[in-house]
Amino acid sequence: MTLFTQQLFNGVALGGVYCLAAIGLTLVFGVLRIPNLAHGALYMLGAYVTYFFLTTVGVPYVAAIGIAALILFVLGVLLERLVFHPLRNAPHTHHMIAAIGAMFFFQSVAQAIWGADFRRMETPISGSLHILDAEISAQRIVIIVTAVVVLALLTWFIKRSIHGQTIEAIEQDRTGAALVGINPAMVSMLTVGLSALLVTIAAGLVAPINLLSPTMGDSLNLKVFAIIILGGLGSLPGAIVGSFALAIAETMTATYISSAVGEAVAFVVLVAVLAIRPTGLFAKAVQR
Amino acid sequence: MLSLENISVGYDATDVLHGVSISARPGELTVILGANGSGKTTLFKTISGLLRTRSGTIEYNGQTIQRTRANAIVKRGIAQCPEGRHLFGKMSVEKNLRLGTYPHRNRIRTEEILHEVHDLFPILKEKAAHPAGSLSGGQQQMVAIGRALMSDPSLLILDEPSMGLAPLVVDQVLESIAQINRNGIGVLLSEQNAKASLSIAHRGYVLAEGRVVLADDADKLLDNPQVQAAYLGL
Repeated sequence: MTLFTQQLFNGVALGGVYCLAAIGLTLVFGVLRIPNLAHGALYMLGAYVTYFFLTTVGVPYVAAIGIAALILFVLGVLLERLVFHPLRNAPHTHHMIAAIGAMFFFQSVAQAIWGADFRRMETPISGSLHILDAEISAQRIVIIVTAVVVLALLTWFIKRSIHGQTIEAIEQDRTGAALVGINPAMVSMLTVGLSALLVTIAAGLVAPINLLSPTMGDSLNLKVFAIIILGGLGSLPGAIVGSFALAIAETMTATYISSAVGEAVAFVVLVAVLAIRPTGLFAKAVQR
Repeated sequence: MLSLENISVGYDATDVLHGVSISARPGELTVILGANGSGKTTLFKTISGLLRTRSGTIEYNGQTIQRTRANAIVKRGIAQCPEGRHLFGKMSVEKNLRLGTYPHRNRIRTEEILHEVHDLFPILKEKAAHPAGSLSGGQQQMVAIGRALMSDPSLLILDEPSMGLAPLVVDQVLESIAQINRNGIGVLLSEQNAKASLSIAHRGYVLAEGRVVLADDADKLLDNPQVQAAYLGL
C-alpha cells in the first residue's frame, strides 16, 4: 500500500509536468492547425536556460524558471513569426518539415553551448514530506502545486480575460474572429509563445529529477503527442485528463511490471484509443 | 461615407466583381439587391478586408481602406455580420457579444451597447448562458447582429441576414435592422427579399453578374418596372 501511494504521488507529479507540456501543444494545434514537432526541443531549451540561470548566473531556482519562461516565450513568438507565419498558406507538410528543422536547429544550438554530455541540475529543494504512509520528495510537491496553480491561471486567462478568449475565438471561427477585430497573426504569436512558456515551466520543474541532454525533448515530444491525440486534438480538458492518465499508467506499469514497459505503455494506450475511438477521448466536434 | 470606386475583385483567374461603384451615406440604410452569385457576398468581404481588390479604391470617411486588414477595418467603424454568421459556436451568447467589443474594450460603452442589444433582442438576455451554437437560426442571426453592434460601428454591414429563416422571423429581423438604422447607425444590407428591404431602405443598388445595373433611391426602385419584374413578381 505504501508503494502504491508513493507511486500515485509520483504519477501525479509526472502528470503535472506532462500537462504543462501538452496544453501548449494542444493550444498551438487549435490555433495554427499544425502539430508543432519542435515542442520537445523548446522543452529541452527551457531546461538548459533554467540550468544556465541557476548554476552559471546563480539566481534562485524559482527566478531561474521565471526568467527562462520569459526568454522561451520570446523564442516561441519568434519561431511563429519567422518559421510558421511565412508558411501559413503552404501545405501542412511544409510546416512539419520546418518544425523538424527548427527542432534540429535548437538541439544543435544546445549542443554547441552546453555540449552533448548529460548534465545534472542540483535539486535546490530538498527534504520530503510524509503524506498518508508515503514519503514524498519536496520537489514533487512543488511540481504538483505549481502545475495546479499554473493551470488555474491559464484557465482563467483563456476563459475570462479578453486576450485569452481570442485564442478560443480563433480556434472556433477564424473569419468570425477577424470580423470582431481580432488579429489572427497576433494570436498565433501569443499562442506559440505561451506554449513555449508553459513547457519551460514543466522543464524547469522536472530538470532536478531528470538529467539534461540536447535530445531530452525527444521522448517528451512523443509522449505529449500521444497525450493530445488521446485527449482529442485541440481539447484542453482532454490534454489535462490525458496527461494524468498517461503519467499514472506509466508510473504504475514501471513499478509493478518493469520500467521498460512503463515507457512503452503510452503508446500501447495510444494505439488502443486510436483503434477504438480515433478522434480521441474528448474530441471536439469536427469543425466542418 | 463609404465609397467604392470602380472596384474589381476575383478569385483565381476570374473576376467576380467588374468595376463596381457604390456608396453608402452616413446614417442611411443602403440595400444591395441581387440574385445568388451576383457578387453581393464578394462585395461585402472586400469591404471588410477579407478579400483584396484587383483594382479600384475603397474609401471610408475620406481614408483609403482597400489595403487594410479585416481586424483593423472593424476598428475604423465598419462591422460586418457575415453570411453564415461565423459565431463562436461553443461559447455562450454573452461571451460572443462581449468578444464583439474587442476593437474598443471600453467598459462603460460595453454595458451601454449590451443594454441596447438586449432591448433590441430580449431573447439574447434570456439565452445569455447558452452556447451560441445551440440556438435556433433566427436567434443565431440575432447574436451575429448583436456581436457586430458591440464593436460600436458607424456602419453595419449585413450579408443576407434573412437567409434560411422562417418568414415570421424574417420580418422580425428586418424590423430590428430598421430600428438599428433609426438609432443612427448606417446600414449596408444585402437581400434577395426586394420589397421588404427596399421599404426600410433609403437607397438601393441592383447587382447582376458582378456589375451594378441599377442605382436609385429606394422608393424609386420599388416603382421601377425592371425591379418589379425581376424581384417583385409584378
